[in-house]
This record gives sequence, C-alpha cells and structure tokens, in this order.
Amino acid sequence: MDVPDCIGKLIKAMMEVDRAGASVLMDHALAEGMSPELFMSDVLDPALLAVGKSWGEQKVSLAQAFVGAKIAEDVLLRCLPKGEVPPTALRKGIVVIGNIEDDFHSLGRRMIIPFLQASNWEVHDLGNDVTAETFVDKALQVGASIVAASAMMQTTALNIRKLRDLIDGRGLARRLKLAVGGAVFNWRPELVAEVGGDGTAGNAGAVDALLSRLLFQAGEGKSP
Amino acid sequence: MTGTTTWLTCGVLEAELSELLRRGEIRGDLLVLDSKLHMVPPHLEKVLSSALERRPQGKGGRVVLVYGDCCPRMLDIARTFHVGRVDATNCAQLLLGKDRYRELMREEAFFLLPEWAARWKEIFHIELGLGREVARDLMRDNRGSLVYLDTGLVPIPRSTLDDCAEYTGLPLKVEAVGLDRLQGCLLEAETAAETVEGGYLS
Repeated sequence: MDVPDCIGKLIKAMMEVDRAGASVLMDHALAEGMSPELFMSDVLDPALLAVGKSWGEQKVSLAQAFVGAKIAEDVLLRCLPKGEVPPTALRKGIVVIGNIEDDFHSLGRRMIIPFLQASNWEVHDLGNDVTAETFVDKALQVGASIVAASAMMQTTALNIRKLRDLIDGRGLARRLKLAVGGAVFNWRPELVAEVGGDGTAGNAGAVDALLSRLLFQAGEGKSP
Repeated sequence: MTGTTTWLTCGVLEAELSELLRRGEIRGDLLVLDSKLHMVPPHLEKVLSSALERRPQGKGGRVVLVYGDCCPRMLDIARTFHVGRVDATNCAQLLLGKDRYRELMREEAFFLLPEWAARWKEIFHIELGLGREVARDLMRDNRGSLVYLDTGLVPIPRSTLDDCAEYTGLPLKVEAVGLDRLQGCLLEAETAAETVEGGYLS
C-alpha cells in the first residue's frame, strides 16, 4: 500500500465514520513496513488537513468530525504513548488550552487536541470553566507562548476579555499570545477583536497554522 | 405594570410557561418557536429576528425573550429590538439556577428537558447523524451523566430515558426542578424589560 493510497483510505474511513476501518488500515500499513512516524507525518497529517478543510466548508457532520478526531487520537496513541510529549527537537511550541470561565462546551476543544498533538504541539489542557488567572499562571508555569481559549456562546466569549486584560495588565502581551475559538467566533468573526483575541481558526485543520503564526509573533518558531 | 407582556419562547419550555400562565403566576401571551431551531443557531437568529420584526406595532406592552444564549447574536437581538431577556445562558440554567447548573456541569451533565426527552431519537439520529456506537463514544468522552430535569408537569418518562441512557452509555439521573426558579427569572426579566429604553412597543 503506497502513501497516497493510504491517505485516500484514511480520509474515506474518517468520512464514513469508520473508526475500526481506520485501525485496520493502520495495522496493514505498519505490517507492510511503514514506520509509525511516517504514518503520522505522511498519512495522518494530510488526511486531517483534508477533513479539516471540509469541516471549515461545513461539509462534515458532527459525527464525521468527532470520529476524525478519534482516529487521530488512536493513531497518536499507537505512535506516541499516552502522556508522552513530542521530542523537543520536533516540538513546535507549547500551548495552554481550555474553555473560558462559565463555558462548559468542551467538544470542540477536545476535538482539536489530537490535531495539535499530531502536529507536534505540546498541549496542556485545563478543561472547562477556566478563569483568566488559571490560564496565565499555567502558561507561565509551563513556558507556553500561547493560550487558547474556547467559548461556545456570546456571553461566555465575552469572559475572554478578562483574559486579554490580565495578559496586558501583567505586561505579557508581546510574549504570550491569545488564540480564541469556538462556534460563536465562526458565526461572528468580529467578536475576535471585541474580546481581544490575537487570532482564531475556523476549524481544526487551520489551528496548526494559526498557532504557528502566533508563535512567530511571540518571538519563537519559524516564519509561517 | 402596564400593557401586555409577550413571552417569546423556545418550544422546549412551552408547557412550563403555559402552566405558569394558567396558574396566574405570570401574565401575558405566549409566542412559541420550534425548539429544534436550536440545532442551527444562525437559523434561529433569523427566525427570532423575523418574529420580532413582524410583531404588530401600536399594541403596547413589552416582549420578553425566553431564550438563553442560543444563537450568535442573542444579546444584540435583545438590544436591537429593545426587548427583555431572561438572565440565563440556556434553558437548563433557567430551571436549575446558576449555582446548581454549575455544579452539575462540573460533573459533566448532559441535560434533557421534558420536551426534548420525547424527541431524543430524532435529535441524535436525524439531526446529529449519530449512530449508537459513535453516540456512545462521543457522549462518554464528553459527558458524565444524563440528567433529566423534572419540572413536575408530566410523569417522568422512565422508559424513554432508559432508552436514551442505554444508547448514549451514560448513567441516568433525575433532578426535580419545579417551576419556581423559572418563574423568578421570568418576573425579573419582565421587570427589567420595563426599564429598557424604548422597551415598550408603542
């Protein structure tokens, strides 16, 4: 099985909500001698990019997006033992992620984490209902250059403003960038500026590019 | 309070508002929109705006939106049309109160209200395209329990809830909520609507 064939089959499994089929596909690829690293970089990455693009174009159902993320997670678990962070040489950067205070809609956040890990980001997930102070304290503790705050609704999105104010108030704006995301930002992009976000991504496939850009703006990483 | 109150409400709470009207705990008219609009928030926004635009002028009184933060511009809609809105992010919080809602959400509750409980198959299968296996994976990854909010107006639909719990793989809990908190929120919103500049439709 060559790489393009493998990519096509993995995309098909994701679109057909066939998690078991994706697992069998990976078994075959590894049995035929493909390394786990190659499967991640040359098969999983392009497949996620394709599915992420369809997601952005709203051609993907909730079930397809969710299973796509689960397949990515399955691949990562087999290629990268649970809890292990990417080797420093490969790591793009460190990001602290969570749903902002009062927001409990975790699905989108949880779905992008495997995408980020597959793209060699070290991710610290704080969960739901996270205060501005917790975000910033954790970022400083782990040396993150980016905090990513998720919100589903207009009222909870406005709580991100507290995070913006705290980052600015502590004089961290140059080295700690604020990514924002969640359904409400897709529906009304002007809210990104209103809450003081440094950028957003409309879908999981676009998050890697957003974070790479923000990392560069924070004075780290390569020019995207 | 002068003039009539129009409660523009999501169908998920139609029975509860009707009961409060019947008891005389609130006064006014109900204008009900399909609860399934919740599935496509931008569409809900259009339908809601359209309902407010169509409302006859010159009738007097006030409008209170009985909606949480269910579409991208809900707060703006309330401001634009100078109408009141209940102070809650969603219908579960409206029934539970903010503190209990937060407690249950921290336990990763997935709420079912009586009107939605009867439609759960339609929502999961048709609206979300979730087959049993994917539904179980998704719900167990993201939620800790299924919590039915019992408003006391209909018998608890045990069999339906058991089916839903089995389908999603989540343990079922029943929380008795009654109508007191809802009533309090409605009356607060009605009072606040009086003070909204231009809050009266004249």
